[in-house]
Amino acid sequence: MKRLKADVLILGSGGAGLFAALHAHSAAPDLSITVAVKGLLGKTGCTRMVQGGYNVALAAGDSIERHFMDTIEGGKWLNDQDLAWTLVKEAQVRVRELENDLGCFFDRMADGTVHQKAFAGQTFDRTVHKGDLTGIEIMSRLAEQIWARDIGRLEDHRAVELIKTPSGDAIAGVLMIDMRTGDFVFVQAKAVLLATGGGPTMYKYHTPSGDKSCDGLAMALRAGLPLRDMEMVQFHPTGLIAGLETRITGTIIEEGLRGAGGHLLGGDGKRFMHKYDPRGERATRDIVSRAMFAEMRGGNVGSKGGLYITMRHLDSEKVKSEFKGMIERCADYGINLVDGLVDVVPTGHYMMGGVVFDVDCTTELEGLFVAGEDAGGVHGANRLGGNGVANSTVFGGIAGDSIGAWVPSAGLARDPDEDAIAAAVERCLIPLTGSPGDLHGIATRLREMMWEDAGIIRDAEGLARARDGLAELDRELDATGVDGKELAFNLTWHDWLNFKSLVMVSRAITAAAIARENSRGAHYRSDFPQAGDLDASSFTRVRLDGEEMAVDTEPVRFTRVSPGESLL
Amino acid sequence: MVQFNLPSDSRVEKGAAHAAPEGAKRVRRFNIYRYDPDGDANPRLDSFEIDLAKCGPMVLDVLIKIKNEIDSTLAFRRSCREGVCGSCAFNIDGLNTLACTKAITGIEGDVNIYPLPHLPVIKDLVCDLSTPYAQYASITPWMRTVSPAPPDHERPQSLEEREELDGLWECVLCFCCSTSCPSYWWNGERGYLGPAVLLQAYRWIADSRDEYAGERLDNIEDPFRLYRCHTIMNCTATCPKGLNPALAIAEIKRLMMHRL
Repeated sequence: MKRLKADVLILGSGGAGLFAALHAHSAAPDLSITVAVKGLLGKTGCTRMVQGGYNVALAAGDSIERHFMDTIEGGKWLNDQDLAWTLVKEAQVRVRELENDLGCFFDRMADGTVHQKAFAGQTFDRTVHKGDLTGIEIMSRLAEQIWARDIGRLEDHRAVELIKTPSGDAIAGVLMIDMRTGDFVFVQAKAVLLATGGGPTMYKYHTPSGDKSCDGLAMALRAGLPLRDMEMVQFHPTGLIAGLETRITGTIIEEGLRGAGGHLLGGDGKRFMHKYDPRGERATRDIVSRAMFAEMRGGNVGSKGGLYITMRHLDSEKVKSEFKGMIERCADYGINLVDGLVDVVPTGHYMMGGVVFDVDCTTELEGLFVAGEDAGGVHGANRLGGNGVANSTVFGGIAGDSIGAWVPSAGLARDPDEDAIAAAVERCLIPLTGSPGDLHGIATRLREMMWEDAGIIRDAEGLARARDGLAELDRELDATGVDGKELAFNLTWHDWLNFKSLVMVSRAITAAAIARENSRGAHYRSDFPQAGDLDASSFTRVRLDGEEMAVDTEPVRFTRVSPGESLL
Repeated sequence: MVQFNLPSDSRVEKGAAHAAPEGAKRVRRFNIYRYDPDGDANPRLDSFEIDLAKCGPMVLDVLIKIKNEIDSTLAFRRSCREGVCGSCAFNIDGLNTLACTKAITGIEGDVNIYPLPHLPVIKDLVCDLSTPYAQYASITPWMRTVSPAPPDHERPQSLEEREELDGLWECVLCFCCSTSCPSYWWNGERGYLGPAVLLQAYRWIADSRDEYAGERLDNIEDPFRLYRCHTIMNCTATCPKGLNPALAIAEIKRLMMHRL
């Protein structure tokens, strides 16, 4: 097996991974830093797909206290408050870094300062953006900085296992597959950053890119790390729906459409949101998604099985100027966003849950750091639109700072547990000896199961069905082979590995959802519809214990503000 | 004179033919380039008859359907599936474009899918983009300044200055344009930067905040790096994002003239 060495190994090349690489490089230029990514650097993952923008308190009248309170209220008091505070405070630093150091240019006001727009669930217009395609600008500028510096790249390399030392007290490196050849590669590293991004692609409708399969969270579970808030899966209300045969289905048309006055219509052509919330279409993502799901379950569906959004009652010139990117994207699919009806469905978008971590991005495993969507606790029960890319860039940068400080003083090149490497290789090779079967049928059933039983509206019966069904799907996967004659760029082998990760993380979601017997933010139990006592809020923590998902809960510590209080 | 260096017996052969399932309603044939450079075999063209009644509307939907249901060994890149990442750039129906935003209905007859022209093939439709990326890095595509950034706010930029960058920043680096350019085919390895990289070069020259426009022009003022653009305009014709690299190159040439 090929063996490589690096001082710092970063898994993932989204906003978190690339910011970490740049900060670690600035903090300690002598370190050898390698970014490993499942596809091409800067092209995979979800930061590039960011449309709306970046929340940060910049304007006069806004404040980090206000941004913080919006984040905590939005998170239904489950957030780790020190993490949330770090997010809002450092976002101010990071957005300037993006503009002034990296050369991102966000849209401007007439006086030359950056423009900030309104986003749902926020008490101030604070979302910095580049039209409605903000991610391209951020990712292009970040990727260029990586190319500009002496930072190593392992492209088309997928991580398959976090490998510890034989005693298990620290990380020793990561086992990977070089997708171009199909060969295994072990990369020994003093510090590893988990920044692969979450991405709930185990749902029938989902937004993330095709390479997202929760590999990071699955590896963390197998390494014995605790994941918090895993029941909190955010559904974006307006995913396009165009049939399950097309990958168009599930892609987002952006939140700003509702903010700008877009109407959601049922299959009967009538608005329905005011039945559910006085804010109507401008209610937060969780409420709108739930209302839409309830309408769909009640049979009020349009021709494609979803609902509609329309802008046709608004000034079409204004719509054209504000949503140029979205209009062009819809036009690619033959859809008229300006004065037509657009078929939409709530779509799995973001995982608030992730690896338990500290404000310096350390985890309980020495040498392993985490940032971005792989990390849990910043957003609590619900993420505000615009806090996602802020989260990945803020904590990616912090992880880089921490790694840059820690590696020179305390980082050690440690020998790996060779037995663990061998076991992980064997696990990956399982499908290559079996006879090929209906792999994608299994994936379809996984997505249906999670959508129906562990999705937007949940109850004990459905969750138990999902728990048992997932265990069965996992067994079926193990018994389903793939054609392994050629391992170079064997996408189907990687599909199998993707589905294994998705099933494992689905089991964690389901276990946490069973444990939470109340309804908060993105998690709604029709058998426990009340939010429960906010003062007694607790969060869930899932660990893989042998073959079982073990869940416990821990009280939220209100370190900065308690329910009923405000910092404003 | 152009030199072809392929072996004398190198040709794309006819490959496997997969017939449409029985009862298919709207059949269309897709001919797809297959190649494994590690093996001894020549490249081949496999054909797949697909029932469009049971397939999504985009070429990417067909590729995924073929991989999932007919030939699990087909290799291609894809990520975002919404025209943002630029991964699924192929030569489709004779035109370089993104499979995720290319509708099948706009194509007449058989649909031929090849890798982007004139790049080394890693497998099937997957190309090696090392050369264009190295050329991209060579234009220092990041903001360069001498004056310090304001300590507590962004560098101001007027609405008009900001609009100068429209039509430039939207590039997703799919390299459809560069690999459609005959001059890049012949001169890419010898230094011609190609339309994608030159569009990016102009994006920084045009940015009012950047203070190195002169050095940027010096860097590309070269018979090969810049002036192998012969205004063929394939780049503009093929860009899946509707951008105009040829115009950006013309702007660079104009700036070169004005500073003489």
